[in-house]
Amino acid sequence: MAEENWIEVGSTDSIEEEDLIRFDHGDKTFCVYRLTDGFYATDGYCTHEVVHLEDGLVMDDEIECPMHQGVFNIKSGEALSPPACEDLKTYPVKVDNDKIYIKID
Amino acid sequence: MKKKILILGGGQSALYAAREIRRNDEEASITILGEEKQLPYERPPLSKDYLLNKKNEEDLVFNNSKILDDKKIFYINTNIEKVDFNSKTLVSNNQKEYSYDILLIATGSENNKIKLDNNLEDEIHYLRNLEEAKIIKKKIENKNNIVIIGGGFIGLEIASSLSQLNKKVTLIEIGNQLMGRIIPKPIADLVKDTHEAAGNKIILNKQILQISKYNENYKILLSDNSELEADFIIAGIGSKPSVSLFENTDLKLDNGILTNEFCETSIKDVYAAGDVSNFYHPLYKQYIRLESYQHAQNHGICAGKNISGLKIEYTSIPWMWSDQFNLNLQLTGICENFDEIIERGKDIENGIIYFFLKDKSIKGACGLGVAGKVGRDIRITTKLAEKNVIVDKRILGDESQKLNKLISK
Repeated sequence: MAEENWIEVGSTDSIEEEDLIRFDHGDKTFCVYRLTDGFYATDGYCTHEVVHLEDGLVMDDEIECPMHQGVFNIKSGEALSPPACEDLKTYPVKVDNDKIYIKID
Repeated sequence: MKKKILILGGGQSALYAAREIRRNDEEASITILGEEKQLPYERPPLSKDYLLNKKNEEDLVFNNSKILDDKKIFYINTNIEKVDFNSKTLVSNNQKEYSYDILLIATGSENNKIKLDNNLEDEIHYLRNLEEAKIIKKKIENKNNIVIIGGGFIGLEIASSLSQLNKKVTLIEIGNQLMGRIIPKPIADLVKDTHEAAGNKIILNKQILQISKYNENYKILLSDNSELEADFIIAGIGSKPSVSLFENTDLKLDNGILTNEFCETSIKDVYAAGDVSNFYHPLYKQYIRLESYQHAQNHGICAGKNISGLKIEYTSIPWMWSDQFNLNLQLTGICENFDEIIERGKDIENGIIYFFLKDKSIKGACGLGVAGKVGRDIRITTKLAEKNVIVDKRILGDESQKLNKLISK
């Protein structure tokens, strides 16, 4: 894959553990998470209704939508609890020199 | 032995119970007997995205119909009109018999209706199921002066949708605030302001005395003798559990079907879940009946576990939401019998939450904000209420401090 697909999100200390930040790039929006074992990224909007997951609650490996409590696995994107039934898209993340990068296709 | 399980009622509780039974028992035969033609579907969008044409009928069906096929769950569209608990048989209106080893009753609830002393009762519309939503959606196309009777969640959600469809809307509520049964007044007042800013007219403290018709329009006489005109009337004035089928049976009823913490009724091998059940809640040590999406789902799942032989108590903390305009209102726990209220947040752009405490522990909360802004803190409140922990009030009331830190790991 072309090197330019890796987009810089920010520094690793910009996200607290078990938390997330919103990251907008072009016309797309993402969530970037810091879990106990590393950084992860998903689409920003819940697959149930258009509401941003940045205000959701991160618990272990899961993100819960703040509007209707749909739950997704952050690492796989799997929709775990209704009303969400469509999986959330996930993106590769790497850390280089304390900077977080996500690969957007 | 392969168990024969019948689920009476085809809503959300029924579906989630069926799936949970299948998860635990690959052999059992599972059949849902539903009164509606449609496979189990989501009701919340009916008053919102469905009316607004953002979602169509197919979008509402839970996941998709394939899930029933995959899990060998049968759905039969039928009207049951007789139950015999002794012979363990249900009889439909076309005299077909269905026998069971275990029965789950998930018949839900039905709308309270407005009583009039003329023949206009049938012209007042209600919104509970897809058929009713379809009719309303079609009929309002050329209506523009719509009166909604009842200022609860459903009336307000419809008012919000109709306003977005550029209809003139007047909503009449008998009480002195909107959503008075469960929502604190300051939040209800903010919702009222939002509706009024969008052009909806809200009338409180008024009762309907009479509805009459001239030509194609209605005249509504209110308790202060004022009159309103309307070309379409929708009412949402609460609901009651759907128990008429059981009224002359041994099944114990009291504001629904009395159910213990394991979803068991007074009759062996008969369970009840969802809106129809008045269940014992071990955390609150009292019977409660709930009408919400989350409860329908979780109570169905709990019934499914118990039917499968797992002995699981239902201890879920109540949670519900309402979406109106761009706002999301959420309620968790029990917001009564409190001795202290703490306010968090100042404006609905970032969310306002009222926390209800008793003996320093948090019992519930109600919040209102632009979509997504109160959910996280309401969810954390649910977790705190489950554990009945004493919380640091300064953190609760200080928007700059995250509530995550109140949840001990």
